[in-house]
Amino acid sequence: MKKLQKNRVEWIVFGVGLVLVVSILAFLTYDAASLGDAPPSIEVRMGAPSQVAHGFLVPVTLINHGDQTAEGVAVEVVLESGGAEKERAEFTVAFLPRGSSREGWAAFQNDPRTVERVKARVMGFEKP
Amino acid sequence: MRPISKSLREYGRGIIGGLLFSLPLLYTMEVWWAGFSAHPLHLILYVIGTFAMLLGYNYFAGIRHDANWLEVVIDSVEEMGLGVLISAIVLYILGRITFDMTPQEMVGKITIEGMTVAIGVSVGTAQLGSGDSDTGEGASKRKRTGGGSKNVHFGGQFVIALCGAVLFAANVAPTEEIVVIATEVSSWQLLAIALISITLGSIILYRLDFTGAQRLAPEPGAIGIIIGSVINYAIALVASALILLFFGRFEGEALIVCVGQTIVLGLAATLGASAGRLLLQSQ
Repeated sequence: MKKLQKNRVEWIVFGVGLVLVVSILAFLTYDAASLGDAPPSIEVRMGAPSQVAHGFLVPVTLINHGDQTAEGVAVEVVLESGGAEKERAEFTVAFLPRGSSREGWAAFQNDPRTVERVKARVMGFEKP
Repeated sequence: MRPISKSLREYGRGIIGGLLFSLPLLYTMEVWWAGFSAHPLHLILYVIGTFAMLLGYNYFAGIRHDANWLEVVIDSVEEMGLGVLISAIVLYILGRITFDMTPQEMVGKITIEGMTVAIGVSVGTAQLGSGDSDTGEGASKRKRTGGGSKNVHFGGQFVIALCGAVLFAANVAPTEEIVVIATEVSSWQLLAIALISITLGSIILYRLDFTGAQRLAPEPGAIGIIIGSVINYAIALVASALILLFFGRFEGEALIVCVGQTIVLGLAATLGASAGRLLLQSQ
């Protein structure tokens, strides 16, 4: 076989390229092997409410424990007092990839700290 | 042994080529989304498919025309590595990957963008140069593509047309617009798009005196032109369908919408396939 005409720089670039390509393939293979088929399973976590100039905010964190991405995740947060709904807020998260978390805020006019219960849930999402 | 300054210039051309050809994709939301919603197996297939195209392109139109297969493989690995590296850096400075993301999301985005950059790197290295490529290029290239003016090697043409089609079509394929157009146009408009695509392809290949057109098609008769244009369009349609399939655009769609999308994207792919055959090998 003809001798390869490569200098040091070219061997370095080749080495780096090889490492990158092989490690990406290895990672994807590992990921494909360990990945199930479960639909998005979304955990909703609420943080401490805070007061801002024009109302109140409740921070909400969404975590997708499923094996698929959820698109257009609609979140609803409800303030309840005496068993009755006092105020409701909604927002949408464009994409929630598997294993990822996204943060948002629900905005209210009533102080969430004065109501009996704050309930948050995911109303629905699309398959991308 | 090649001087180091020359290698550096080649890599520089490759990097610029990668950016030139793939910047639209690096700036496209749908591609970022595909990076995390695609199944890892699809991504692996995408990497393998891209590598096969790089091998084909480097063999038939690459910069080292006296290269053996081993060197073609080494070049392809280098280009793919550069593509991944460029994609990672650009996505990071654009704020599309951050360190609080899951590794799956980061790797998915980098991979899906990096593959197009890699093809751009390959094309840039070979095509943007001013002719300081390896010596003996002209002679061996002609041998490679099948001999001077006549009998241009079909396999080489096929690979280069496919690369051109993918390079052009991939820029618009992942966008929502293709589906929107495909669902909103009438079948008559689709037919018009198909006919215009074939016509454009044949004009580019046989009538506009683009560089390289002479060598590709000396003086084909009417039948030769028709056959050539149809084959060209067929390659473009196959490329469009494959890309759309990869981006999951066929899932749950009616057959007519799938055909519509393929034809709509086929226009871009035809331009890529025919211009690619001329321009990507027109030194």
